[in-house]
Amino acid sequence: MIANQVSLHTFPVSVALLSTDLSFLDFSGIWLENFGLSQNIKGKSFFRSMPKLPEELQLDIQYCLDGVGERCDSAKVTHEDGEVVWYEWKLNTVNTGQDKVDGVILILEDITEKKLEEQLLKKSLEVARIGGWEVDLLDNTIYWSKITREIHEVPEDFVPNLETGISFYKEGYSRDTITRLVKEGIENGASWDTELQIVTANGKDVWVRAIGEPEMVDGKCVRLVGTFQDIDRSKKAEIAYKLVSERHARATRTAGIGIWEYDIVNNDLYWDENMYRLYGVKKSDFEGVYSAWESCVLPEDQEESAKAVSDAIAGKGDFDTNFRVRWPNGEIRWIKAEASVMRDENGKALKMIGVNQDITELKTAQLQLIQSEESLQGAFENSSVGMALVSQDGSFIKANQSLCKSLGYTSGELSRLTFQEITHPDDIDIDLSLLSEVINGDRSTYQIEKRYFNKKGQVVHVFLTVTAVKKINGELSHFISQIVDITSRVEASNKLKGLLELTTSQNNSLLNFAHIVSHNLRSHTANLSMITGFLLDNEISTEEHQESLKMLKRAANGLDETIAHLNEVVQVKLEAGKKLRKISLAKTVNKVLKDVSALITENRQQVLVNTPKEVYIKGISAYVESIVLNLITNAIKYRDPQKEGKININITVEGNHVVLEVEDNGLGIDLDRYGKKLFGMYKTFHKHKDARGIGLFITKNQIESMGGAITVESEVNKGTIFKVKFLKAEQV
Amino acid sequence: MSKLERACIIDDDPIHQYGMKILMKKLNFTEEILVFHDGQEAIDALLDLLNTGGQLPSVIFLDLNMPIKDGWGFLDDFVKIPHHNREQVTIYMVSSSINPSDRQRAETYEMVSNYIVKPVDEDQLREILREESV
Repeated sequence: MIANQVSLHTFPVSVALLSTDLSFLDFSGIWLENFGLSQNIKGKSFFRSMPKLPEELQLDIQYCLDGVGERCDSAKVTHEDGEVVWYEWKLNTVNTGQDKVDGVILILEDITEKKLEEQLLKKSLEVARIGGWEVDLLDNTIYWSKITREIHEVPEDFVPNLETGISFYKEGYSRDTITRLVKEGIENGASWDTELQIVTANGKDVWVRAIGEPEMVDGKCVRLVGTFQDIDRSKKAEIAYKLVSERHARATRTAGIGIWEYDIVNNDLYWDENMYRLYGVKKSDFEGVYSAWESCVLPEDQEESAKAVSDAIAGKGDFDTNFRVRWPNGEIRWIKAEASVMRDENGKALKMIGVNQDITELKTAQLQLIQSEESLQGAFENSSVGMALVSQDGSFIKANQSLCKSLGYTSGELSRLTFQEITHPDDIDIDLSLLSEVINGDRSTYQIEKRYFNKKGQVVHVFLTVTAVKKINGELSHFISQIVDITSRVEASNKLKGLLELTTSQNNSLLNFAHIVSHNLRSHTANLSMITGFLLDNEISTEEHQESLKMLKRAANGLDETIAHLNEVVQVKLEAGKKLRKISLAKTVNKVLKDVSALITENRQQVLVNTPKEVYIKGISAYVESIVLNLITNAIKYRDPQKEGKININITVEGNHVVLEVEDNGLGIDLDRYGKKLFGMYKTFHKHKDARGIGLFITKNQIESMGGAITVESEVNKGTIFKVKFLKAEQV
Repeated sequence: MSKLERACIIDDDPIHQYGMKILMKKLNFTEEILVFHDGQEAIDALLDLLNTGGQLPSVIFLDLNMPIKDGWGFLDDFVKIPHHNREQVTIYMVSSSINPSDRQRAETYEMVSNYIVKPVDEDQLREILREESV
């Protein structure tokens, strides 16, 4: 009957018609769909067909059947498996006659999902710390939800108004902004959604998101509704993140580090701003694919860099490579690239994330260093100045060709030597003391002129500059020695010095000659002149004439003798530089002693000779003999008659010289008085019949012509020692 | 011109000594001639003379180059003799040296009257005698 009147089947809601005995009379298609039932429930018991419904629904249906016109409610059922299902229903009785209930119309819906969403929203509002608020502008009341109050940190019974609400916003930007937004909202109905700071009742700064929506009635705002969300943590995190990322961006930009990400699967290459700077490329000109990068790389470097990429993808090692890129303006820059490869669980490469850095300056510096090292090496090897690296103990670490040439050693031989071993003994102390000053840090360099011995044992004169090389930590590492070979210069200088000495001595000889001529020769000519004057004088007696003739003879002889002496001296001078021969000094002494043995015996002189067996000197035998003879006869001639005469002859070797000493205990010479004149011509200092003042003068000249020297020590009445230094001849 | 009491020759050259003696004799230069061979001998003798109350010679002819003690050495010793004894003595340096430095050095000695280059001739001696007489 009712069922026949209208079919519920096409009703767009979940609806069913139940009979008074609670069996299905009709239902909509949606009902079947919603509750997973089929058409055959028609006529069957409602509760049996749908057993798991809330008890409240059963009660409501009963109420309706009992005459209550309508009911609506919602309730939940908890199934045995714990599943909760929410139902909402609406019940209406169906009356065909008066007071007679024919059945009930039931709209029933499973609102579990909706309910869950509601609960979730509420929860999420709480979790998200979103509060609500509402301002009724007609009666100026304000409502804050629980969360809104919590955010403001006010007690639950706090009663705000619009002004106090605004006054919570932080003074300055936040309060100014909210004041303006609320004003605009009230005046124009504009909604807002902004992030501002409030200061809570406890004085805490909190970031909030405030959303406001005005309600307008006839162009007039009657109400403001909105939400209030605590976004402090996320905002602060955001600010912090922004700071960090700004800092990071600045750091990478300043460091010139570019970051890139390459999606291998999709061939998508992402570059950050710095990358564009590094490659000198505009963002708009870059296609963001692998080949776009590759085309920036210098063609010569493409193969290698591509291999580095493929190796990294293939897992053959880290991506860490250098290559050059050419900027659109042609400039070439060095790039250092490093990257990591991201893989999926199967190890398939998905992404590369990496950095690029411009290392052009570093690379240029490296290249310059290599070049300067090469040129230094070249300079070291090919320098005309001898150079060596010398360790702290003095051994040669390395020596260049020039030094090897000067010293006659190979560089291998030098490396087994120390500088001490090849330094002239007279120069080692000063060298070592300066070196120790360098080692102690008192000086960083020194220069000296010194001598080495070359491999053949010959003296090499050098000008040495030593410089300390320090390690990075400041400790001494080694020395650099620069050695300029000045042997030829020194030899030339010595030769020059020799020439100068020769010239000086010749000059002295000339002066001496001038003196001899002015005095010694003149004294004879003066005598001759005077005597001849007497001979021509008639007023002089005959005896005096006779005497004058004798004197004339004497004067002539004197002149002759002086000329002979002068000739002798000239001869000695001329002989100077004559080839010197090896002479046994001991033999010469013995020969002379033999020659004057009669004189020795006659004057009762005791002669002691002390000489090494084999002593040879460089000299001219006639001179050596004359020198020895002169010294011995002098010793006898100027003996002290009051004493027993003693003559000691000693021969000793002193370095490159042989020294002959002739010592007597005779009259001695007052050296303070005559020292300067002792070896002059025609100087005599004793009253002696044979003193002629020529012997020591000739002797000195002879000695000097053989490269020797003569000195004297004497004390009046004690004796005299003449020391003659000769050049020593080699034994062989 | 009156004859001098005493003259002195200090020279190691016997020819010069001989020549001076001849010239002095000829000019009747002096009563007595003292001859010494070197400066030391001369100074010793002159001091002896003073010690024995003798008179120093009024003229001394002094050679420069001599053994033992040369002319300069003699002068150095002679200045040490008390002034009143030697103020009447005139010294003439007599040398064969024509070296100007010797003449210059001689001029530095106050008591040296003149520097005569050998040979000394008759006229020079005569002039000296005239000066001494005045």
